[in-house]
Amino acid sequence: MSVTNKITVKRAEIAVAVILALCSIALMIKSVENRITWNAEENMGAGFLPFYLSLGMLICTVLTIIKFVLKRSPQSKDDSPFIEAEAFKYIAVTIISLVILVLAIGYLGIYFSLIFFLAFYLRYFSSKSVLFISVFSLITPVLTFLFFEWLLKIPLPQGISEPLFYPVYDFMYS
Amino acid sequence: MDVFILLLEGIFVSFEPLNLGLLVFGCLIGLFVGAMPGLGSVNGVAILIPITFIIPPTAAIIFLAAVYYGAMYGGAISSVMLGIPGASTAVATVFDGRPLAVKGEAMTALTAAAVGSFVGGTVSVILFTLFAPPLAEVALRFNAPETFALMVMAFATFVGLGGDDVPKTIFSILIGLALSTIGLDLITGKPRLIFFNIPGFLHGINFLVLAIGIYGIGEMLWTLEETKGKVQMSKLSVNMKEVGRAFGALKKTIMAMNIGSFLGFFVGILPAAGATPASLMSYGITKQLSKNSKEFGSGVPAGVVAPECANNSASTGSMLPMLTLGIPGSPTTAILLGGMILWGLTPGPLLFTQEPEFVWGLIGSLYIANFFTLVLNIALIPAFLMVLRIPFAILAPVIFVLCVTGGYAPTQSLHDVWLMLLFGFAGYILRKLDYPVAPAVLSIVLGPLAEKALRQSLILSDGSMGIFFDMAEKPIAAIIMYIAIVLLIMPAFGPLYRKFFKKAQTT
Repeated sequence: MSVTNKITVKRAEIAVAVILALCSIALMIKSVENRITWNAEENMGAGFLPFYLSLGMLICTVLTIIKFVLKRSPQSKDDSPFIEAEAFKYIAVTIISLVILVLAIGYLGIYFSLIFFLAFYLRYFSSKSVLFISVFSLITPVLTFLFFEWLLKIPLPQGISEPLFYPVYDFMYS
Repeated sequence: MDVFILLLEGIFVSFEPLNLGLLVFGCLIGLFVGAMPGLGSVNGVAILIPITFIIPPTAAIIFLAAVYYGAMYGGAISSVMLGIPGASTAVATVFDGRPLAVKGEAMTALTAAAVGSFVGGTVSVILFTLFAPPLAEVALRFNAPETFALMVMAFATFVGLGGDDVPKTIFSILIGLALSTIGLDLITGKPRLIFFNIPGFLHGINFLVLAIGIYGIGEMLWTLEETKGKVQMSKLSVNMKEVGRAFGALKKTIMAMNIGSFLGFFVGILPAAGATPASLMSYGITKQLSKNSKEFGSGVPAGVVAPECANNSASTGSMLPMLTLGIPGSPTTAILLGGMILWGLTPGPLLFTQEPEFVWGLIGSLYIANFFTLVLNIALIPAFLMVLRIPFAILAPVIFVLCVTGGYAPTQSLHDVWLMLLFGFAGYILRKLDYPVAPAVLSIVLGPLAEKALRQSLILSDGSMGIFFDMAEKPIAAIIMYIAIVLLIMPAFGPLYRKFFKKAQTT
């Protein structure tokens, strides 16, 4: 039995409900760092709303768990895989490559990270030629640069590659 | 008469070169966004909002409204040609649009969709022009308790009319509100919910981070799973004879146009409803009232016209509460409302008196956008079909690039990009388990406004929640609150009603 078959909708439903319940409790604990009561002098404490909102979230997740136990929700009776094996490949590779992309942005800067991300993604999932992939992976960051840095004047993170852009900035702002 | 003059001024505003250029560009982008499976108006507006920071608010709202509008037209293209709705708003268009395409009458379906969208759009914009000023006039008398009650009602409509699992819907509303409380408390100045002392949380969570995460990253993951990166398209012959025949087939769709246009507008006004239920309801009612109801589903033009009229009409309807009450009527208008705050405006009835150019420029632009989108839609069908041939495996990384840059641009912080990824993955998982995500986006936008209104109300009442239920002192707030309570308890009566109905049928 593959991993994707083991993770059924039923198991995912209860696992997610429990995780959300724990997150709600964590939010309640965090809210208590501030005053959670109302008084006439200071009005509502800073923790008042977050506390009661997370309490409400906890009640909702408990209700979801009760519905699951009583088999009152469609998910509680669904033994089909949460995600099909073929689709899992798409989703897993996409998520991992996005995480690596954001990690790389902090170090390499956005433009070089995008080149590697696009080249990898297109090579892995599409059947396009190496020439197409190379041109596409280079043009997209160039267009991104022109749009954000030149048109919108919003600097995007450049990491260790920043010195490489100084001549371009000199040209743009001279 | 006053309204007519203001409308004319608004139309002149939308004809200013920058506004007109952005309007046409917005219509084009909207058509493209709507046509691509997995992308809809909400995704387009969420991803594009960061690029509006450098243009004046009037131009920005005209551009984004045109994207919204165009997407409603464009959704039909992939529904007909691929059998995959371009967006949830075009789901009902598949029912008859796809069978028409399979029969070789794709051009009839696409023309019916375009003309239906135009009629629905025109009727709804006229209704909007007539209803908006008096509603704004009434809303001007609203104070903090009425505003808070309205927001509670907006949340309650998701529970009462959303049709989703009730605890999951309430959870979605509450998590959106809880996320909106992160950062510095504006009244006490104290930091709230700063996890692991990460400084990025001090500036709070921008609604765009959640919106792009859910509607950009999450939606792409969902579509990748559904399509596995592939597309399958019908054949289409485009010539003038086909277009002429298609227009001829529309004579029998007058009833569908009326139902779609009027029903769509009024359903669109409700915060939890919007274009998707409006189009499904219009399809269902048109089918029931039609003499040829048995032919629906096998490819009849009225089955395309009804939902397309309704989704365009609803998109305009959803802007009515956004402009007049400061309450969004759909997830897309929730993002537009957040945009207004980012552009330095205060959403609500005061806009009509303080920013008439903005309000009437937007209303005027809807008339113009309606015309341009019809022309562009029919003229560019071959171009959109070329775009639809792009495999998803190529389109998806481009959308991811837009999401990452769009998530970074508003605050220029990588912290927000990480959060956006997290929300995207979480949104994808939660959506697969039937947690509705739209209420979370609506509540993160309305959260700060609701908190302000609640605090002001409680100061007025010395901390008593009774201010919201006091029929003598605050009758409007009380009536709205009681309606909200009815909406909140409505789902509890659903099973009872079904039980009773079943019993009555068996006896």
